[in-house]
Amino acid sequence: MKIPKDRVRLNVGGRIFETTSTTLANAGRNSFFGALFSENWSLKQPNSDSFSNCEFFIDRNPDCFSVLLDLLRTGDLNIPTNVPERNLYREASFYGLLDHVRSAKWGQFDGNRLRHSRSVTGRAPGDGTAIRAGPDGGCCVAHGSVVHVYDWIMEEHPPLNLDYQRVNDVAWVDSENIIISACERLGRGDGGMGLFSKSTGELRYKFQVCHENQVKSFTAGALSTSSDYKIFSSCKGRSNEYGIGVWDQVTGKQIDFFYESPGWSLGDADKLQWLNGSNCLLVATLFPRKDNCYISMLDFRDKRMVWSWSDFGAPITVDEKRVRDTIAMEDSNAICVVNEYEDLGFMDLRMNGGSVKWSSRSRMMKGKLSDEPCYPKLALHGGQLFSSMDDCISVFCGPDWVLTSRLRRDYGGSICDFSIGGDRLFALHSEENVFDVWETPPPPIS
Amino acid sequence: MSNQKKRNFQIEAFKHRVVVDPKYADKTWKILEHAIHEIYNHNASGLSFEELYRNAYNMVLHKFGEKLYNGLVATMTSHLREISKSIEAAQGDSFLEELNRKWNDHNKALQMIRDILMYMDRTYIPSTRKTPVHELGLNLWRDNIIHSSKIQTRLQNTLLELVHRERTGEVIDRGLMRNIVKMLMDLGCSVYQEDFEKLFLEVSAEFYRGESQKFIECCDCGDYMKKAEKRLNEEIERVTHYLDSKSEVKITNVVEKEMIANHMLRLVHMENSGLVNMLLDDKYEDLGRMYNLFRRVPDGLSTIREVMTSHLRETGKQLVTDAERLKDPVEFVQRLLDEKDKYDSIITNAFNNDKTFQNALNSSFEYFINLNARSPEFISLFVDDKLRKGLKGVSEEDVEVILDKVMMLFRYLQEKDVFEKYYKQHLAKRLLSGKTVSDDAERSLIVKLKTECGYQFTSKLEGMFTDMKTSQDTMHGFYASHLELGDARTLVVQVLTTGSWPTQPGVTCNLPAEMSALCEKFRSYYLGTHTGRRLSWQTNMGTADIKATFGKGGQKHELNVSTYQMCVLMLFNNAERLSYKEIEQATEIPAADLKRCLQSMACVKGKNVLRKEPMSKDIGEEDAFFVNDKFTSKFYKVKIGTVVAQKESEPEKQETRQRVEEDRKPQIEAAIVRIMKSRRVLDHNNIITEVTKQLQSRFLANPTEIKKRIESLIERDFLERDSVDRKLYRYLA
Repeated sequence: MKIPKDRVRLNVGGRIFETTSTTLANAGRNSFFGALFSENWSLKQPNSDSFSNCEFFIDRNPDCFSVLLDLLRTGDLNIPTNVPERNLYREASFYGLLDHVRSAKWGQFDGNRLRHSRSVTGRAPGDGTAIRAGPDGGCCVAHGSVVHVYDWIMEEHPPLNLDYQRVNDVAWVDSENIIISACERLGRGDGGMGLFSKSTGELRYKFQVCHENQVKSFTAGALSTSSDYKIFSSCKGRSNEYGIGVWDQVTGKQIDFFYESPGWSLGDADKLQWLNGSNCLLVATLFPRKDNCYISMLDFRDKRMVWSWSDFGAPITVDEKRVRDTIAMEDSNAICVVNEYEDLGFMDLRMNGGSVKWSSRSRMMKGKLSDEPCYPKLALHGGQLFSSMDDCISVFCGPDWVLTSRLRRDYGGSICDFSIGGDRLFALHSEENVFDVWETPPPPIS
Repeated sequence: MSNQKKRNFQIEAFKHRVVVDPKYADKTWKILEHAIHEIYNHNASGLSFEELYRNAYNMVLHKFGEKLYNGLVATMTSHLREISKSIEAAQGDSFLEELNRKWNDHNKALQMIRDILMYMDRTYIPSTRKTPVHELGLNLWRDNIIHSSKIQTRLQNTLLELVHRERTGEVIDRGLMRNIVKMLMDLGCSVYQEDFEKLFLEVSAEFYRGESQKFIECCDCGDYMKKAEKRLNEEIERVTHYLDSKSEVKITNVVEKEMIANHMLRLVHMENSGLVNMLLDDKYEDLGRMYNLFRRVPDGLSTIREVMTSHLRETGKQLVTDAERLKDPVEFVQRLLDEKDKYDSIITNAFNNDKTFQNALNSSFEYFINLNARSPEFISLFVDDKLRKGLKGVSEEDVEVILDKVMMLFRYLQEKDVFEKYYKQHLAKRLLSGKTVSDDAERSLIVKLKTECGYQFTSKLEGMFTDMKTSQDTMHGFYASHLELGDARTLVVQVLTTGSWPTQPGVTCNLPAEMSALCEKFRSYYLGTHTGRRLSWQTNMGTADIKATFGKGGQKHELNVSTYQMCVLMLFNNAERLSYKEIEQATEIPAADLKRCLQSMACVKGKNVLRKEPMSKDIGEEDAFFVNDKFTSKFYKVKIGTVVAQKESEPEKQETRQRVEEDRKPQIEAAIVRIMKSRRVLDHNNIITEVTKQLQSRFLANPTEIKKRIESLIERDFLERDSVDRKLYRYLA
């Protein structure tokens, strides 16, 4: 029988593995195996005649290697019970295969195929403020004045804080950097906004706001980032300098400021959302932060509010419906809102001054409000709409946003925030300080 | 639960590694340092990749990342210093080769070092924001080799010297050149730009400054262009062979500036070979080259355009004002058309059909055609000539081509209404004398005029065609109802609608008795079928064929004459001798017309059917006339034209002019009223502008005339002056 020319025999920690260099090449050039088989080092390869007799020694754990070799062969990750995950990750990191492991661990995000993967319990006291999914499967959770950071392995990194001021929002700039917005501390210049390293927890940059060429301390609220490397935040200064600040992600310098006009609200905003297609920023201030809701779209190029809606002055109906969260859906030129009964409402982005068209689902929900309600939140991902209410998250699909799935776990109480990113969904519960990780399983075998 | 236990055990085993030999880091680093030395010394075959990788991994894992990184920097730097020395030592031409060889070695070593330190590259470096290994290696090479004081200038000079040698015709090692330039680019944009490109551009500018000076002294314009083009192509080729593609724009800019922009005016105006000579000699290739080179530099094309325009205007002006050439209107227009054709083909063949050049051509023609006030008349005469005879045997497409060309000239005319006047006159003559060659061609031209100037412009011309058609029908009817007149149609009447034709009111004469009887019959027939109309005879426009017998030999001829001439000749049926006074009395033909018609019958050789006493060229009031018995002609049919210059005589011209001015008045007034009706209030200057704009398609309105019209409208209470601002006019509804 002819032996394949590229056959390789490896001795890993005393156990012999036979494979081919083709299989190992799946690891990519920037891996241990990629370097090993590159022409630079091939001089040390035994010549091909005696190849089958010669073995290559690697001083590593053979159990983990067998899992990783299987991953390179099949693309599937199967971790036997006798191999601790942490060990496996450690070994994958040695070989430069951590990215392979991550992408094999869970599949492409689909709201209707999500499975609960694990729950992580934190030590922080009190209710969580916000949870934000990172681009590579990690997440960070804001609790009071501290932000806890987890990578995709759910290993906790050093927690972040900005002068131990109360955190209002968190955002990922990229997989290595996190921004925190926090309340200011009077007279000290503390608080505001800072950029932190995910892995070391160090504060890399503190963002400043200038008004009339003077640096002012400020309270930063909701955050958003854009694909052209800008950071947006709602800002409250002390001399009525309310509005939306804009910074450059690369230089950290403030590049713009959109001042709030009288009778409108920007500086208190609960939510910012950058819209790539229309080059606008959605800014929403919602009940109960203010007595009224203000939703607007800002165009920074000509400093204009291109779309706005408010329930100011609207008559209060019997079944009072107040907007609690909102999200812009660029593909369908609409803005979706949700009220405390989890009714969804829609507005047309193409015309100003319209009203909300509610789709009433509240009948089935009414009277079931829990003692300590969490207000509904909305998220949009890959054409699917997500809304959280109490202890479950609903998934809506299609042009008419039909309810297709419901994610629920009984532990931890109401969901106070959730976030989708890195092909994972993270749900933060208000009690017990716990968050759930939901992910789509890898695709079926055939 | 059993799993749980197992797990605990393993995790503990993992943690044991943390206990480290105090000298562990130093020992491990020594191994790695030794490996780096071996790699640089081409002695890597004895190294174990697995061992080195694991050692580097362990150093990072045990928090010795910084030691590892700093060690790497120091080791690599010391090697690069060695390399620097060996490159410095290289003599002459081997310098670049040595540099290239060492660069390849370094790259390979760097790749291997990066392989060993891969784990550090992946974990330690991003979290500490240090420079990754590969980039670090390039930076160190840049600082220790390329920017070392002994290499930097030597390298720059060597590269520039090679480029210079290639420019002067030597063959250089382009492969080596490409490798070295590629190295500079690999080290970063700024290295390539600062250490090579900037100097390269400076040296090139100097080179081409000198060369262009040399060329311009000894070459003619065409040759210079060829040389410049060649140099430009050489530089573009150089970039594709061994420079960064981004340099192409920069180096071509240098060549363009030094070789073209700086000498532009001198080239264009070069004696005996400049642009004007190229235009005169239709040198398409040279012109095309000039266009393609000049378009590359700012103001290049506008320079060509300006010279072309001023040349064109100058020659055009000579063309239209040269008294010699004005004698023959057809020739005059033909010359204009030839000139236009010439430049059209220059623009097509050499100037890439450039719109701005076409515009310049058009505006030049517009400029000089209107320098001659008779251009409208001449163009109409040209058409007349073509439609009378010139189109015989010409295919339909060619007719179209000629007409299109005429339309193009027509477009340049400012006084289109003058053209209309003449065109009407000429058309009337063609129609009435049945001289028009092709009805289709006539109609085609009218359609063209209509698309150009609108329905209004041609409605009367079309009316003329309708009249001709109806007249035919009328004549049928007339002869059908007067069968006693037989088949011989002695009278053919064309009924012309007043206003459509260039008729002169009240001009008439006494027709011979035979004629007037027939005319009366027609009048009563016509008025009988069309009630409420008035007929008046335009005897000045008719023609007649009369049979005449001359002398004793009884030579018979058929004479084709005008109505006036017929009237005169008929008188001689009953008289031998008639004095001028007698003829005038009998016919009542207006004096000027009579003189002209007598002149044509008595003073033109070969057509002198009358004899005059005394014999002279002009007609006097005291002259006497006889039938010329000695009249002979080879032809049976003799056409006796009226002595009338094809061109208008000076007084006629004045008259036409006056009529045109007269016709313009209502048009100007109408325009003023239209504008004021929509604007209500407007100041004087704006009215002038708007009126001029509105009437542009027909003629160029004279501001003083507009002012007069405004005043006339004020008098007639269409407008009033504002009581405060006298410059403002108000519309009175």
